[in-house]
Amino acid sequence: MKNEKKSERRLAYILVAPSLLLILAVAIWPVIQSFYFSLFDYRLNNPAKSALHLDYNLNLERYLESYPFLMNTLKQEISQATGEKKEQLTSLQEQLQQVDEEIRADKEVAKRYEQIDEILNNFEVPSEEIKIVPIDEQAAQHLTKTISETKQTLKTLNENGQLKQGDKLTGLANGLSGAVIEPNFVGLAHYKNYFSDTRLWKALWNTTVFTVISVSIELVLGLAIALLINKAFFGRGLVRATILIPWAIPTAVSALMWKFLYDGQNGIVAKYFADMGIINNMSELLTTGAGAMFAVIFSDVWKTTPYMALLLLAGLQTIPSSLYEAASIDGATKWQQFVKITLPLLKSSILVALLFRTLDAFRVFDLIFVLTGGGPANSTETISILAYKVMFSQTNFGGGSALAVIVFICVAIISTIYIKFLGADLISDRK
Amino acid sequence: MQKKAGPLFYVFLFVFVFLVMFPFLWILLSSIKPLSELFGEEAFNWFTSHPTLKSYVSVFVNYPFLKYLWNSTVIATITTVYTVFVAAFAAYAIARLDFKGKSIILGIVLSVSMFPQIATISPIYMFVKKFELTNSYLGLIIPYTTFALPLSIWLLVTFFRKIPFDLEEAAKMDGATPLQTYFKVILPLAVPGIFTTSILVFIAAWNEFLFALTINTAENYKTVPVGIAMFQGQYTIPWGEISAATVIVTIPLVIMVLLFQRRIVSGLTSGSVKE
Repeated sequence: MKNEKKSERRLAYILVAPSLLLILAVAIWPVIQSFYFSLFDYRLNNPAKSALHLDYNLNLERYLESYPFLMNTLKQEISQATGEKKEQLTSLQEQLQQVDEEIRADKEVAKRYEQIDEILNNFEVPSEEIKIVPIDEQAAQHLTKTISETKQTLKTLNENGQLKQGDKLTGLANGLSGAVIEPNFVGLAHYKNYFSDTRLWKALWNTTVFTVISVSIELVLGLAIALLINKAFFGRGLVRATILIPWAIPTAVSALMWKFLYDGQNGIVAKYFADMGIINNMSELLTTGAGAMFAVIFSDVWKTTPYMALLLLAGLQTIPSSLYEAASIDGATKWQQFVKITLPLLKSSILVALLFRTLDAFRVFDLIFVLTGGGPANSTETISILAYKVMFSQTNFGGGSALAVIVFICVAIISTIYIKFLGADLISDRK
Repeated sequence: MQKKAGPLFYVFLFVFVFLVMFPFLWILLSSIKPLSELFGEEAFNWFTSHPTLKSYVSVFVNYPFLKYLWNSTVIATITTVYTVFVAAFAAYAIARLDFKGKSIILGIVLSVSMFPQIATISPIYMFVKKFELTNSYLGLIIPYTTFALPLSIWLLVTFFRKIPFDLEEAAKMDGATPLQTYFKVILPLAVPGIFTTSILVFIAAWNEFLFALTINTAENYKTVPVGIAMFQGQYTIPWGEISAATVIVTIPLVIMVLLFQRRIVSGLTSGSVKE
């Protein structure tokens, strides 16, 4: 018996393992990585920052594309120079030589140095992995300093017209300057910046307004609809199917549909709203901040109220009708029945529906991205939209990841609060 | 259920259904209007006197819309089949077998299903870029696991739990191993639940937007939601084509919903209602 239990347990772990590993790899690990990214100044469009560097590195490809030519040209220049200029150039040459030797003092660097040099001599392109080599912090700083001095001296000499190959020299020195990759670890700087940035607070505020208003309207309307259709009637199936269609259609498509209906010139909904006096004129819906927020919330309510009603209807149907019969015999009014029977028994259904809806609303992206793009003037920009823009429009993955982590933390806080109310009901074994 | 519906109720029902369906109705009516009637005064007429299918033709001729449909179908199908397959084993273990850490695992599954997509997008984007999976089917199927797998496990666990335990006991008495019990007894009974789960996962994968928007940017690999959303140019929005495309993607959904509404509702509500 005991053996059987043990083998059952082992089987269970084997069966669960693939799913758990997948979840770990594609969901949990990325979140941890997002947090790690957020600690770096990580920019895809900037070669020196397009990877995460905790230490100083040298881009050998870049270095060797300039250094040998710079030295050669410098030599030619020296052979033709005289007096003070010659001294200055010779000193530069010595300094560069010295720092080059300093870098190569490290065996690992020296090996790579040769390797890359050979690759470049064969007119081939070295791979990302081998061309970046970690170097000692002191050497890196020395190199940076020497390069900037070289640049400065050559620039001054060139401006005074004292160099024969001035433009070539300054160009090569400039080429050298991007070779040292400084560590782009910035710690919590992104968070510090964003928390003092009004745009983040505005986005958080927009997200909260959108979430609170749309979810409360959806709850009230959904509950009302659920109560009304909780009875036997002709055409139930058809009504249920109608309810499911807005939920089933891709949000991006329905957002585009609403964009057409809200259009300031040709939108039918905009026209009806203007005729009814809800808005002053048709164009207000998508061109003013308040109008756009209203438009976004209205679309969301349209799409998800039916879903909310379905969840609550399922909850209502589990309440035994005998309770209502007993209550009405005792002389309870409809309202009393609703408050004393329906609401308490529906509590867990309501909380679960609210939990899912609140989280969905807080993460809102598709609807706003397609309908308003966050505009006008960022008035409907939610935190997910902001994070997306920072990541993919500004290609600032570090900052964007910091914002994504902020969304994650908010979502975690919201779920913790709900789960506290729900208790362990949600995951308990319902045997 | 004892309450009877009066005529007033049917009026309310009609108004409700009409309001919910109005946007679709309007899009359907607009999709058969000639271009000139989509703008100006005539834009507000309900019915056109010159119905035309030009917009529908244009959707297929001027846009790779068929390709979008194909991409979405392939990606959503593969995602559904593979996640439901993997999830079925885990769900069976969680629902039917006795082992430690069950509620922790279920807790992890539930929390992961609440993860905001934006929190995983940057590492996943870097991953698919590194392995050159952008603009490929696999480039979306892998990220789709993030929401499809927890959803499948969650739904399947509730379905597996509903299967009576006596059957298993009986199989055990007859000397069947847990795996035999799974394939011979549980799985056949779980088919409806697996089917329902598949529908919901398929819809979720079909509708996904953020990953599709960032990872598959080439015209040939776009999915339907992104494809339609990108119909709009910088200055002009081809409303005729958008309406037609919307109608085309909505019709199969309507048919699916009409056929499977009972299952979909049972799937949607199974996680939230105690029975």
